[in-house]
Amino acid sequence: MKILESMLSKNNQNHISLGLFFVLAILPVAAAFSYAVLYSFGVVGIANEGFTLRFWKDVLSKGEFIQSFGYSAAISAVSMVISIGLALYLTVIFHKDFKNRILSFIAYLPLSLPGVVAAFFGVQVLSKSGFFSRISYNLGWTKDLSGFPDLINDQFALGIIFTFVSIVSPFFLLLFLSIFENEKIDELRKLANSLGANRRQSIWKVEIPILLHKSKKLISLYFIFLMGAYEIPLILGREAPQMLSVLIVRDLKQYDLTLISEGYVIAVIYSIVIGLLTYLIFSRQK
Amino acid sequence: MRLLYIATLALLFYGCKDQKAYTSSTDPLTLEWSEILAQASGTEVSFMMWQGSPDLNKYINEYIKPSLKQEYGIDLKIVGGQGSEIVQLLMGEKQANASDSQVDMVWINGETFFQLKSIDGLWGPFLDKLPNSKLIDLSNKFISVDFQQPINGMEAPWSITQFALVHDSIDTPNPPTTLAELASYVEQNPGYFTISNDFSGMTLLKSFLAELSGSPNGLDGTFDEAKYSDLSQKLWSWINQNKKYFWKKGETFPTENTKLNQMYANGEIKISYGFGEGGIDDKIAQGLIPKSTKAYPWRNGTIKNSNYLGIVSNSSNKIGAMVVINYLLSPDAQFRKADVSGVNANNVLSYDLLTSEDKAKYDQLPKRLYGPTIEELKDHAIQEPDSRYMIKLYEDFRKYVIEK
Repeated sequence: MKILESMLSKNNQNHISLGLFFVLAILPVAAAFSYAVLYSFGVVGIANEGFTLRFWKDVLSKGEFIQSFGYSAAISAVSMVISIGLALYLTVIFHKDFKNRILSFIAYLPLSLPGVVAAFFGVQVLSKSGFFSRISYNLGWTKDLSGFPDLINDQFALGIIFTFVSIVSPFFLLLFLSIFENEKIDELRKLANSLGANRRQSIWKVEIPILLHKSKKLISLYFIFLMGAYEIPLILGREAPQMLSVLIVRDLKQYDLTLISEGYVIAVIYSIVIGLLTYLIFSRQK
Repeated sequence: MRLLYIATLALLFYGCKDQKAYTSSTDPLTLEWSEILAQASGTEVSFMMWQGSPDLNKYINEYIKPSLKQEYGIDLKIVGGQGSEIVQLLMGEKQANASDSQVDMVWINGETFFQLKSIDGLWGPFLDKLPNSKLIDLSNKFISVDFQQPINGMEAPWSITQFALVHDSIDTPNPPTTLAELASYVEQNPGYFTISNDFSGMTLLKSFLAELSGSPNGLDGTFDEAKYSDLSQKLWSWINQNKKYFWKKGETFPTENTKLNQMYANGEIKISYGFGEGGIDDKIAQGLIPKSTKAYPWRNGTIKNSNYLGIVSNSSNKIGAMVVINYLLSPDAQFRKADVSGVNANNVLSYDLLTSEDKAKYDQLPKRLYGPTIEELKDHAIQEPDSRYMIKLYEDFRKYVIEK
């Protein structure tokens, strides 16, 4: 009887937890998405006049969304490749050194930075009046401010990528070091070496594949997360093209109230694409 | 578990509780001022305003709030937000049919006034009801007309300001004052000029547009599509022709005026601009920019306008908001706001309408050390054009310059 009571109570608790999760997490997102869909078709919105496809047609014909999507994906991909490459290199070569407290503290410190602070640091370090520019001036490499190359608000999004890398790579370093430990990769490497693999082969055929395989879901999710980043591209990016979140917020806040629905159109398309991508990532894992 | 339920319910209940003391179905405009004062006492007023200026925040927190509490028993609560945030909030509330707004009064300029009017977001006309409005010269078109729209008592002017350009008198002794001079200046000094893609940058473009019209009054009147189209084409062509000499070769533009100020301070650009007659005194006092910095008007004129206080249409404490606004328009509050070592904002009261005692107080106010006074720039003042010029400039600057 007691076992039955305990099972029932546990069942109840599960239902309550699921209910709370639905109310606090699923319901607000679903409600916000439905509102955005309605807004995008002009059904809701003080300045709208009723159902219309105009905003969808305008957004799709302008091409700014596609450009922004491609731009966001490219920046995220490049940042992820560099960050993961760096984290892999440090893990494989220096994993023992990170047991040192001070070194690990320095390496993980950027993880605690909020995006807006990281972007601010990016400006301090990379701008024409920043740290690197001053060093370059003092070393006589540049004659004045204008001689220093554009590293923020620049054509190739170097400032955004640099800042993304500086906050993403410590995360992956932490993750890879933990996988390295848990999967006993060091021992597997020794085994591979004893079976005749050289250092290069054990890195490329054993260590890196295991690290990437074990973290691929997180890598995909982090890529999606970077695509939606806001503060860093807002501060360090250019006025055109803009990353997706910056573009969406710009449209939602525009002066012409009759065009706010265009921001919702982009938000809806973006949510659908990201939703599908996330679904693909998780369904494949199964 | 039960405890968790109780805690959650308590939290929800507390979150939904209305904190304001006053709600009334009486039309505040039908009340006598003494009744308004009596009913406003003991209430809370939420004021949504831009909080980006430490001096202004200090003025509000350390002077206005205690004075209101002491003299009228009103608790003033500040909520951060400006322009589009105000519009978004009120649109959301209207959409949700909220009877009581989160805010009672807002600090706005002409564009927001235009937007809020289009969604019936403002309540009024209330200006005539305020005793201190008698001290304002409403025949002054820079006060009574906001972006070519008569204010009609729907908003109260809070301060008046003129746009000006900024240069270093040692480094750039002869700054450009016309488009032709600017073209030759940027060619000789490549990389030191830019247009910020924000309110200030668009205000500068309005001055350029007025110059292209051939007169300081060229943009007066309601929005004229044909005129805009003709003038803006000339403007985009001028910018696109010269932008290779702009900051970052005109491939990108700063997003806001604060960034422009920083760039001027660190020498990345040599011509800056902004409202508050250039707003250089506080920056010089803080040691951010050289003492040789001067502010000057464009030869054809720069925009002069007022900023305003409005009462939200679904405010639950319109009476309290009226008392707060009336206090903000009092000579004491206005003169304190004009303090050159503080907010340094021009007061909106007419000198001629002040009592002799207040005139004496005004005369004793310390004067600016570096920047020009609004009086000195008055011959180069042009009225704000219709807000649709601003909307179109934003849209087209992106379309024909930034994305080109």
